[in-house]
Amino acid sequence: MTTDTAAPVRSAQLSLRRILPPIVTGQEIVLLAVLVVLWVVLGIFTPAFLTPGSIGPLLVQVAPIALIGVGMTFVIITAGIDVSVAAMIMVSAVTTARMLVAFDIPAILAVLVAVVIGSALGALNGLLIAYGRVHPIIITFGTANLFQWLGLRVFDSSTVNGIPSTLEFFGRGGAGSTFGVPHSFAIAVLAVAAAWWFLRYAKAGRNLYAIGGNQNAARLAGIKVQPRLVWVYVITGALAGLAACMVIATGTATLDQSVGSGKELQVIAAVVIGGTSILGGRGSVVGTLLGAILVQTVVSGVTQLGWPTQLGFLFVGIFILIAVGTDLIRERTRRRA
Amino acid sequence: MKISRKIAGALALSAAAAVVLAGCTSRNDPGQTAEPGATDGASTEDLTIAFVPKLQGIPYFEAMNTGGQQAAEELGFEWLYQGPTTADAAAQADIVRSFIQQGVDVLFVAPNDPNSMAPLLEEAQAAGIHVATTDTDAPDSVREVFVNQASVDGIGEALTDTLLEAMGGSGQYAIVSCGETAANLNAWIEVQEAYTASEYPDAEIVDIVYAGEDQAAATQMATDLMNSHPDLTGLVGECTSSAPGVAQAVEDAGRTGEVFTVGLGTPQSMLPYLESGSSSGSILWDVEALGYLTGWAGVQLATDGDLGDLSGVDNEALAEAEYDESTGVLLLGPPTVFTAENAGDYDY
Repeated sequence: MTTDTAAPVRSAQLSLRRILPPIVTGQEIVLLAVLVVLWVVLGIFTPAFLTPGSIGPLLVQVAPIALIGVGMTFVIITAGIDVSVAAMIMVSAVTTARMLVAFDIPAILAVLVAVVIGSALGALNGLLIAYGRVHPIIITFGTANLFQWLGLRVFDSSTVNGIPSTLEFFGRGGAGSTFGVPHSFAIAVLAVAAAWWFLRYAKAGRNLYAIGGNQNAARLAGIKVQPRLVWVYVITGALAGLAACMVIATGTATLDQSVGSGKELQVIAAVVIGGTSILGGRGSVVGTLLGAILVQTVVSGVTQLGWPTQLGFLFVGIFILIAVGTDLIRERTRRRA
Repeated sequence: MKISRKIAGALALSAAAAVVLAGCTSRNDPGQTAEPGATDGASTEDLTIAFVPKLQGIPYFEAMNTGGQQAAEELGFEWLYQGPTTADAAAQADIVRSFIQQGVDVLFVAPNDPNSMAPLLEEAQAAGIHVATTDTDAPDSVREVFVNQASVDGIGEALTDTLLEAMGGSGQYAIVSCGETAANLNAWIEVQEAYTASEYPDAEIVDIVYAGEDQAAATQMATDLMNSHPDLTGLVGECTSSAPGVAQAVEDAGRTGEVFTVGLGTPQSMLPYLESGSSSGSILWDVEALGYLTGWAGVQLATDGDLGDLSGVDNEALAEAEYDESTGVLLLGPPTVFTAENAGDYDY
């Protein structure tokens, strides 16, 4: 028994030292370089890619993905996944939009409502995953359907029409930026900065890497695995709620049931392209932010170059495969070493 | 630890139950009566006419449902309405199968994928059910009639005329479409291209992009198009999600009055943009009337009535409906152009 426990503790300590993230990772530098090259090339070959009127809306579009990406990075670092974020956006967005229309609630209250709903849904995910010991993809796939049902009930077979511009602070229009910086993107960057600090310097943050590296070892090393996991999913839910406000603000005056759909895959794509290992134990929020910007750059770039829309899928797919491939190669060489 | 396992078990169980229940509520509409063995030529009293939309819960098909229910009340038949919660061909096929099993008298489908729906319609016909399409056709199928909302030419020309009138008859414009393989959208776009080339030689379609059914993606693409084509003065939103999307993009860029938009949007979703001027007009049809016409056509099919004889129909929205026997198409009439003045009169 003693030998059984001693080995994981050692490996936990080892993995703790090994997995502490460097200040900038290689993948981040590569991503940044790719981004710079893409922006320069697009700046040359399109009339207006590098103008405020183009970059501003692009960053607004990136913001909700990057924001949820912070939570998703935490989740994936713990070797989990959350495929219910799109449905959480839907529930938060439709409830908030209905309250905006019915009671004309102020922006602060709208944000609060959305974040509280997102957190509650995230808490359900977290509790089921931490204490149910079923793989997160199964749990969140289940709750995604549950949330979808909940959202459709709130929609009540009709769209939400005539949403007031209460949340324009997060929007694409003039009220959505200060000195040319879109508020929603600034919020996403702040969240990324806070998460970067948390993962690097806070004990609870570093624990997440240990949990993802080897959950049993982490538990034996005295880490409170279950509460940590619950919080990770609560944070993801809360960020999905905040992102729902951005989705309302950047959408039209009408909200339909397609709101949020596909966002879970966009977020996971950003996280994976950002260099976070889908196997857990390694990852960076800065990479996620860059990944989110890269994906939207590709999609917008394809449109602005006048290329067929479908090429966007091809390029994003290639980026994901390259990122995952690099990760797996890295993992294999490490195991061999 | 033991306690937490128990809690976990209970939670997981309740979650599973909830998911199963969720599945039930969307799949089984209580109140549907299964009547095996379809009967032809009966009185309309025990006639069941089922309609499977592409997608349940969106205002467009809910409005069609309202029209169908109205027809059911006035003409005296049972109207069943059930569709998938995502525009998914497989989920739609399941619902069609369940209606075949229930043995409805007439089955209307607005197919998500006309090709994969065709064999199912054949199956339904073999089971003695009258099969027909509405809203979207399955051209190479056994359907007896297609209830068409508006002719392809009518839509394409109305979109082009409304936009070019706002643009002053000339200039560059772009189209933000939705599904890249959506047959009706592509047919309209073809007409727009040909009609623009022949009627407006000084106008040019510079790009056609596909945003899926995603409002935010449509808005972003419209923004990208305005940036990459500085001389662009027009945008078309080809479906109900991109129509308000392109108008929103123009508003956000502060270019209302410089860039004009038209689209196929529901009146309620377009109202704010029609009022602010970022949308110059929304082209659609009276969706409730389309639902009514669908119900009426179902009765004609089941009772061997004459689809061409609309004289007995007491509904002025159907005044211009006409039936083409050679193609089996029952046409609602010319499209409606919604403007700031009349969009508020419709509640979908």
